[in-house]
Amino acid sequence: MELNIIDLTKKFGKFTAVNHLNVTMTNGVYGLLGVNGAGKTTLMRMICTLLGPTSGTITCDGKDIMSMGENYRKKLGYLPQDFGFYPEFTVQDYLLYIAAIKGLRPVVAKKRVNDLISGVGLSKAANKKMRKLSGGMKRRAGIAQAMLNDPAVLVLDEPTAGLDPNERIRFRNLISELAENRLVLLSTHIVSDIEYIANEILLMREGELVHRGTAAQLIASMKESVWKCYAQKKDVSHFMKNYKISNMKSEPDGVELRIISNERPAMDAVPEEANLEDVFLYYFGEKVSDTNGAI
Amino acid sequence: MVRFEIKKIFGKRINKLVLVLLFVIVLIGSFLAIRDVRCYQEDGSVRSGVAAISQLKKLKNKWRGAVTEDVIKKVVQENQLSRDSETIKLARQQSFDDIREMINAGFSPAEGYDYYTADQISPEKAAKLYEQRIEKLKEELSAGNEEGNYTNKEKEFLIHQYESLKTPLYYEYAEGWKALLDSQYLPTLMIITIVMIGFLVSGIFSDEFQYKTDSVFFSSRLGRSRAIVSKIAAGFLAITVVYWSVMLLFSAIILCVVGFGGAGCMIQTGLGNWESFYNITYLQDWLLTMFGGYAGNLFILSFAMLISVKSRSTVLTVTVPFVLSCAPMFLGRVQILTKIMNFFPDMLLRISKFLDVLLVCEVGGNVIGVYPFLIVLYFLLSLAIIPVLYCGYRRAEVK
Ligand SMILES: Nc1ncnc2c1ncn2[C@@H]1O[C@H](COP(=O)(O)OP(=O)(O)OP(=O)(O)O)[C@@H](O)[C@H]1O
Ligand SMILES: [Mg+2]
Repeated sequence: MELNIIDLTKKFGKFTAVNHLNVTMTNGVYGLLGVNGAGKTTLMRMICTLLGPTSGTITCDGKDIMSMGENYRKKLGYLPQDFGFYPEFTVQDYLLYIAAIKGLRPVVAKKRVNDLISGVGLSKAANKKMRKLSGGMKRRAGIAQAMLNDPAVLVLDEPTAGLDPNERIRFRNLISELAENRLVLLSTHIVSDIEYIANEILLMREGELVHRGTAAQLIASMKESVWKCYAQKKDVSHFMKNYKISNMKSEPDGVELRIISNERPAMDAVPEEANLEDVFLYYFGEKVSDTNGAI
Repeated sequence: MVRFEIKKIFGKRINKLVLVLLFVIVLIGSFLAIRDVRCYQEDGSVRSGVAAISQLKKLKNKWRGAVTEDVIKKVVQENQLSRDSETIKLARQQSFDDIREMINAGFSPAEGYDYYTADQISPEKAAKLYEQRIEKLKEELSAGNEEGNYTNKEKEFLIHQYESLKTPLYYEYAEGWKALLDSQYLPTLMIITIVMIGFLVSGIFSDEFQYKTDSVFFSSRLGRSRAIVSKIAAGFLAITVVYWSVMLLFSAIILCVVGFGGAGCMIQTGLGNWESFYNITYLQDWLLTMFGGYAGNLFILSFAMLISVKSRSTVLTVTVPFVLSCAPMFLGRVQILTKIMNFFPDMLLRISKFLDVLLVCEVGGNVIGVYPFLIVLYFLLSLAIIPVLYCGYRRAEVK
């Protein structure tokens, strides 16, 4: 199973959402990380054959996915970012319907649906109408739907968005369990999620792939260092203007700042071990400069 | 898969409401149509509806049989004999009213129908009723003042149709069929039905986008093939089942109450269709009307589904059946359009009301009545829309 993205470009009018992107993926969990509007969803839609590329191709084991049609889609599971459902269907009906359009035979479908309903912890809600489910339960139904055909390529667009911390952790575990023996591509801007489950992280900015690697590799790739220092409240705006601030914590006698910078930002600053949050900021963060300096 | 599509359609609350509403409308419509059956009493009162039916049946069936020259003479004599007051006359005339109206229609001057024609005509002249029908047509055709000018071929066709009507006509009580087919209720019900079915099918294609279920749908294995076929099947199934249920229920109620009698009478036995060139019985009239309505429904609604695919808007789709079945009525007032308007699909929804209009067309060198042509045409067009629907949806992108 190898998914090859070759020189992929998608334009909406004059706007380029995905820009000459190249990447090869095999089995494993890939975390797609990028700010809002980076082009993550657009890329995923193309991988799911929902959008045709403006130029470039995506191949699956060497064959163009657009011309593979059904043969490719039968390997595909997709949880969209704005996951929609049929309001009047019960969870069970919904899953049986999706199983049908995924081409599962009715007998197989029935068993698979029941397994997945208990697998994602929806047993109690199986006969509830979809519109009556909570956000977290809907996402679970979404995951179950994507897993129906036991896909070799599982695409999850912000699967943990809008979930409370507890639910997010449970969801993370669920995804890790499902990740064996397939290619999972998931997007998020919650760094801790990706750190926890992804084997490999793809950093995307303005439609381009700016970096890829494991969390450790990405951290190592940082050319600036991370510093911790304390400052008075009145000095914070000065720091924000001149440095990338990765974290800020109020202390009784001032503010603790986590700063990414080449040189030591202050006399009392001490070097810190970098983490993935810092990497995110290093690649995507901007100095606040003149927009607003106040907290 | 079709099962789920059907479930999607009838799960929507608005669609459940539509079904209930349609059922109530059928009941009201048939009640009104039955109530229009009237029987005038000699004391001046009027019985209507169920109370009138058996009395009227008895009266009218006195004249059951072939309407020969002798019968016509007898009707004229009896009609002119009664020198009673208007109310009593009205009551007595009822038994031969249909035949009296045939005479009125036949001998009224070209300028227009005159209700009192039968009161003044001589029995001998009236006896030539059937010849007069053909003569009158010939006169009108040569005067060239009939709406739309006919080619010679068309004139020949019309005259031939008139001449091949087998006379004398057989007559019997047929109020059930007349209440069903010669009233305004049926075309109105057809329009209401098509608008209501419009609600049912409007969401089949566009709801996937509105619910944002399109991503999962189109990325599924059969989402760009069999799943679309099952959507189309569900649409046609809904149209077919609902249309025929409504029409059969409406027909059954009226015919059961007012009577099935007269199914074999020619439609010319009465005022409504005396001038019709369709030599068919009431039963055939019913079949023609029903299948015409079905073809109209199929075409207009599959066109609506096409709009649903292209526009991705359920709301816009709902308006399509309304526009296509009602707008031509208003457009019809524009003179230059009238000829073309006769070929619009909305004509199929009012066949029984317009059977007496001399609408013909020439197809492959043969002149035929417009309705059989339209039925075949729009049935084929509906079939032709299917692949367009399929391909349009298959290529949809999720943006
Ligand atoms: N159908 C469209 N028409 C025009 N522009 C679009 C369309 N879809 C996306 N875009 C633009 O393409 C860019 C990338 O959008 P995309 O949804 O892929 O970003 P994303 O990385 O998924 O963002 P988010 O984290 O907010 O989900 C955005 O600037 C967006 O405005
Ligand atoms: Mg997105």
